[in-house]
Amino acid sequence: MNDLELARRALALLDGDESQATVTHERSLATRFARSTPTQATAVEQTTVELLCVRDGQTGSARTNRLDDDGLRAAAQRARAATIAAARSGAGEYPGLPEPANVDACAGFDPATAALDPAQAAGALRTAFAACASAGLEAFGLWTAGAVHTAIASSRGIALTEAVTDAHLKVIARDTAGRSGFASATSVASGEIDAGAVVSAAIERRASREPLELAPGAYPVVLDHAAVATLLEFLAELAFNGLLHAEGRGALTDRIGERVCAPNITIRDEPGASGTFSRAFDAEGVPKHALTLIGDGVARAVVHDTRSAARAHAVSTGHALTPGGDPDGAIPTNLVLHGGGAASLEELCAPIERGIYVTRLWYVNTVEPREAVLTGMTRDGTFLIEDGRIGRPLRDVRFTDSVLRILADTEELTAALRLVGEADLYGERFATAALCPALRATGFRVSGSA
Amino acid sequence: MSKRGLEGALARAVELAAALPAGAALPWLDPLPPAQGHWRSQCEIDPFAGSLDDRLELLLAADAAMRGDPRIVHTEAQSLAIRTSIAFASSEGAAITQERIESGGGIAAHAAADGELQTRSYPSAHGGSVALAGYEHLLSLDLAAHAPRVAEEAVALLSAPPCRAGRTTLVLGDEQLALQVHESIGHALELDRILLGETSYAGASWVSPSDIGTLRYGSELLAVTADATLPRGLGSFGWDDEGVAAQRVTLIDAGILQATLSDRMSAATIGTLPSGAARADGFARQPIVRMTNVSIEPGEAEGLEGLLDGVREGLYMETNRSWSIDDQRLHFQFGTEIGREIRNGRLGRLVRNPTYAGVTPRFWGALDAVANAGSWRVWGLMNCGKGEPGQVAHVSHGAAPARFRDVEVGVLG
Repeated sequence: MNDLELARRALALLDGDESQATVTHERSLATRFARSTPTQATAVEQTTVELLCVRDGQTGSARTNRLDDDGLRAAAQRARAATIAAARSGAGEYPGLPEPANVDACAGFDPATAALDPAQAAGALRTAFAACASAGLEAFGLWTAGAVHTAIASSRGIALTEAVTDAHLKVIARDTAGRSGFASATSVASGEIDAGAVVSAAIERRASREPLELAPGAYPVVLDHAAVATLLEFLAELAFNGLLHAEGRGALTDRIGERVCAPNITIRDEPGASGTFSRAFDAEGVPKHALTLIGDGVARAVVHDTRSAARAHAVSTGHALTPGGDPDGAIPTNLVLHGGGAASLEELCAPIERGIYVTRLWYVNTVEPREAVLTGMTRDGTFLIEDGRIGRPLRDVRFTDSVLRILADTEELTAALRLVGEADLYGERFATAALCPALRATGFRVSGSA
Repeated sequence: MSKRGLEGALARAVELAAALPAGAALPWLDPLPPAQGHWRSQCEIDPFAGSLDDRLELLLAADAAMRGDPRIVHTEAQSLAIRTSIAFASSEGAAITQERIESGGGIAAHAAADGELQTRSYPSAHGGSVALAGYEHLLSLDLAAHAPRVAEEAVALLSAPPCRAGRTTLVLGDEQLALQVHESIGHALELDRILLGETSYAGASWVSPSDIGTLRYGSELLAVTADATLPRGLGSFGWDDEGVAAQRVTLIDAGILQATLSDRMSAATIGTLPSGAARADGFARQPIVRMTNVSIEPGEAEGLEGLLDGVREGLYMETNRSWSIDDQRLHFQFGTEIGREIRNGRLGRLVRNPTYAGVTPRFWGALDAVANAGSWRVWGLMNCGKGEPGQVAHVSHGAAPARFRDVEVGVLG
């Protein structure tokens, strides 16, 4: 039985109710390494069925990995019971399941990656270990790949399937003094990840001499691709979430149509862009389309699922994260920050007399959501820029700054974009990544260091 | 689950292990006495036996009690109940089963006006209070009774003055102190991190194995335990996920580091016995070193009043809002939902967006009072992330309000 047939079989158990069945079939492989030794390898194969029931604007859902009739029937009963109880408490605001719509095929699947060949992982690890050994360093990191099949069937007539793959390699090259450099690669196709290039870049970003301590203050900064992707990830939650926006909690509340970033900043959600983790529809089966969120520095739009759209008197933009819409709102998962004119990192650094180069950010969290103020640390490669060049290493610094402020004071971006995804992949595998350039901004606020 | 499926999983695991390059030799693991038996957590009222209607009524009453003021733009009332059944068998002869029931909930009110957004939660942020207990725990929280105050404080914070920047005496509420212990002590003392095994993601630690027994982690008032037998603690169990029996371990005594959190492999690497801290968040993840219930032991101050007594000027902060710490667990910055000025031994006016920052050993070195056992409570955390693929651990921390001298506050960039 294929995934759509399983979804239909589960849906039939809620016959008579407005309902949706979602089947997610994950196969994945993760190999971790530390001190140039494999440490953990995990292969997962898991199929889950989520059943959603709708009555009087209220929703209830149940999830199971028991795929026999008894298991599916029990899940259907739990979903129905939850919905009936919710409906008894009064009418809800969920507007009902979406109608079927034309969905374009996505290009987010690579058959070779889906083979999940352990030999491919082993090859990447051997390359990392050998290159680090040659440099007198130890390798730490992760190689992981996954293939996820999704099928949605609903009582409205939606019948959709999609297969996507993702692959990641990250390497931290570290010396005995604890100085480390980081690089990573993310792709739909594991075969496109060049382990040699990744480990070379990590070795290059490792400080080779004792780092300096930087005093708190505002500095010109060059944020490499990974650091920019982290900022975009938070912007997705704080600024582009349609529910937060509608309730006056968003960073763009009352600012649509205003200039919020520098004119060279255009951020779009592009689920079909080449080289991204392309997806054709969201968790409610609503088609995804490209959407300009910030265009030439001006706030243009936020994203919605069906639930948040009802609250905002808008329509779903195809950004549901869960069937029935997420109580915490909708966020874009295919952000693209358009590039600029700089041909290289060196060109970005060139105008800076004294500033900071940041490889990546770490443990970032929100300080003030309405202003999109974040705090976090730099990690695995922070350097002083002096007289236009990356120079002496710095101890990791803490920043406390607004993403929108950084993007408002962005002077230049690289032309080349890179796909950057976090490979931590908690829970059910749902790989996301941002396609972004490196950038140069003024006034990066350093608030401390270890 | 079928025999064929299990055999397939085993074959896949063997294939995977065989494919990977050889690494450094692993330490020899001394065999464990085979764990045998069944363990289940305490639960007075089965949270799955009651009606959903009763549960919803409780939540809706709390939700309604937070609403009314137009500046309250979003409210949340939530509860959860989780029953986890675990069966563990090993080639060393272990054969155990465990059942854990977790229950709890909480409320939050979000107020917005004039470009300001403020949140208040009860009894704690990030989903409320969850314990290894039954429905009785949710009932004991009495969410509806606290709802009006929560909403009023969220609105009041909109017009409160911002937290001033500088250095001052800081008194932390017990919920915030629990997270401070979690981030700057619990994670730092995970032995896999100390041995660089988690460098790829969560990071390492400023502590080294040779520090055990000698490192001054904080002032003499700092005493910390890891106790997997703590009643109602989310980090309690009969055996960890390697079959090591639950135990209580002194991590820090009189400010001096005594032990770490460890699994069998990391403990064998440094030649000690495992502390029973190997945990996995499900069948599809490998056990890694996690916290159990890492608690700061109560002190002698007579509650919050005792901590405030004698403080001419300072700040009190309560209920976590933001948290961040570096990959060595040294430099941290926290924000809380609410702050209050302390003047001449008393709590004064509200301040909004309070934050504080510090460096782990200096901060704990500035600890000069902990409230006594009458103010000590166990706080559950449901969102502790670590590992690749990511794993979420549920842990608890016992904590009482505590006082620190000369702390950096009001860090807003």
